[in-house]
Amino acid sequence: MNGRSFSGKRYRKWVMPVLLLAILAEAAALVCGVRLGSLGKSFISGFSFLAGAIPPDWGAFPELLRPALESVVIALTGTLVGTLVSLLFGLAAASNISPAWLKQTTRLLLGMERSLPEIVILLFLVAAFGLGPFAGVLALTIGCVGMLGKLIGDAIEEIDPVTVESIQAVGAGKLQVMVFGIVQQIIPSVISFALFRFELSIRLSIVLGAVGAGGIGLELYRSFYLLDYHRACSALIVTLVMVLATERLSAFLRKKVRKEGALR
Amino acid sequence: MKYYIPPSRRYRQKAALFSLLALVLAGLCLYLDFNPLMLFTEFHYLGDLLKSMTPPDFNLVWRSKDIPMAVAETVSMAFLGTLFGGVLAIVLAFLAASNTMPFRVVRIPVRLLLVLLRAIPALIVILVFVVSVGLGAFAGMLTLVIGTIGTFGQLFMEVIENTESAPAEAIYSVGASRWQVIRYAILPQAVPSFIANLFYSFDVNIRASIGLGIFGGGGIGFRLFLAMRVLHYRDALALVCLTIILIVLMERLSDALRGRLIGRGTLK
Repeated sequence: MNGRSFSGKRYRKWVMPVLLLAILAEAAALVCGVRLGSLGKSFISGFSFLAGAIPPDWGAFPELLRPALESVVIALTGTLVGTLVSLLFGLAAASNISPAWLKQTTRLLLGMERSLPEIVILLFLVAAFGLGPFAGVLALTIGCVGMLGKLIGDAIEEIDPVTVESIQAVGAGKLQVMVFGIVQQIIPSVISFALFRFELSIRLSIVLGAVGAGGIGLELYRSFYLLDYHRACSALIVTLVMVLATERLSAFLRKKVRKEGALR
Repeated sequence: MKYYIPPSRRYRQKAALFSLLALVLAGLCLYLDFNPLMLFTEFHYLGDLLKSMTPPDFNLVWRSKDIPMAVAETVSMAFLGTLFGGVLAIVLAFLAASNTMPFRVVRIPVRLLLVLLRAIPALIVILVFVVSVGLGAFAGMLTLVIGTIGTFGQLFMEVIENTESAPAEAIYSVGASRWQVIRYAILPQAVPSFIANLFYSFDVNIRASIGLGIFGGGGIGFRLFLAMRVLHYRDALALVCLTIILIVLMERLSDALRGRLIGRGTLK
């Protein structure tokens, strides 16, 4: 009975897709130069390499605190400024308050931005403004606008129109309607989007740091390339603590915001 | 207004808190000598850069076969990263979920591994792989595999644990083995979510593979980095346009495939 159920017709429809997937994978492996045979050896060399870095350089921790703080500040500023700017973009991208042409152009711009990774944006900003935290903050701000602008726009499209109408009915001007009717309603979701984005920004700020934004990412990259693996190990520990701590903090705050409704 | 009504106590507390936070942030910016006003004082540099980038030099695409090759590398990196990473993530998720793996001895280490893979930055992973397998798309692909496992392993574990337990109990009570329970009760509930998430993961990996290229992962990101390094800004802008087109096309493709797969209900 068991044998029949496994050789039955029900599996026939899977043959073609699996075959196609296998052919595609083979072609892709050819392009990538995958060498599965050498994988075992390289894993061993990778692990022995990691094991060689194991006792972290304890003396390096005090001097790593400043770069870590720099990374956090870059992520925080980028997220904060980005959230404020994306409120404007969100208003422009919502179909229930902005005219069709404005909505279309804003959405197109935001979509284009989202298809560019932050690191590419950073490459250009570094070429313009030079190395340093400023380019990093700007790259994170732009990335944040691409993501939150769309999310906020979607959130605005889903607000309760009754509130807006009642505010209009008691004689509010256009600006007042925007501030008290629309922005007030979406603040809880904006805060939780921003916290989520902050988590992402912290992770990104590490990679961006290595390309020229400074901070702990640069420290990590540099000590790796100067073959100072013990120091790299310390930087890795600092990074892990930073990432996990911000993740916990943001999850806690998001839960709190959801429970209280808003930080009113 | 004749009567002045002070704001509520809670409002004042929040206002005080937020102004304190703003002050701390401003202080930190000063401490790290980072000046947000640079955007306005040095804006002309951005203008200069834009001027030297336009018009983009699209000849680059067919001048040599390097660039089409780089595009193929980026796509296949993302594809293989998603395929292998997805398969490994599903296997590890089954080993970590409490309703498919009864032994704590296996479950706890696998969960720890998943948490570790999630927290470790991609920067470290690519640097280690570049050292151990050499520069190129292979190192980038392996990094994407690790990243995919980290992001989706835990998610898949939660998907498996949240499947409805009634069908599993029903067929278990009529004598199905553990394998049969997984195959006929848990897998049919979990597979649609796996497939949808893997398509999403492909979108994420395409973007990530461009970033990884810069650290030695090969593909179009590496070409872009080279073009910026040698100040060929017009080539760089062409590559950026190519990247945008590539990402949008891949997103369309994966959307269409996902819609067909899930809409037809072929996954049952």
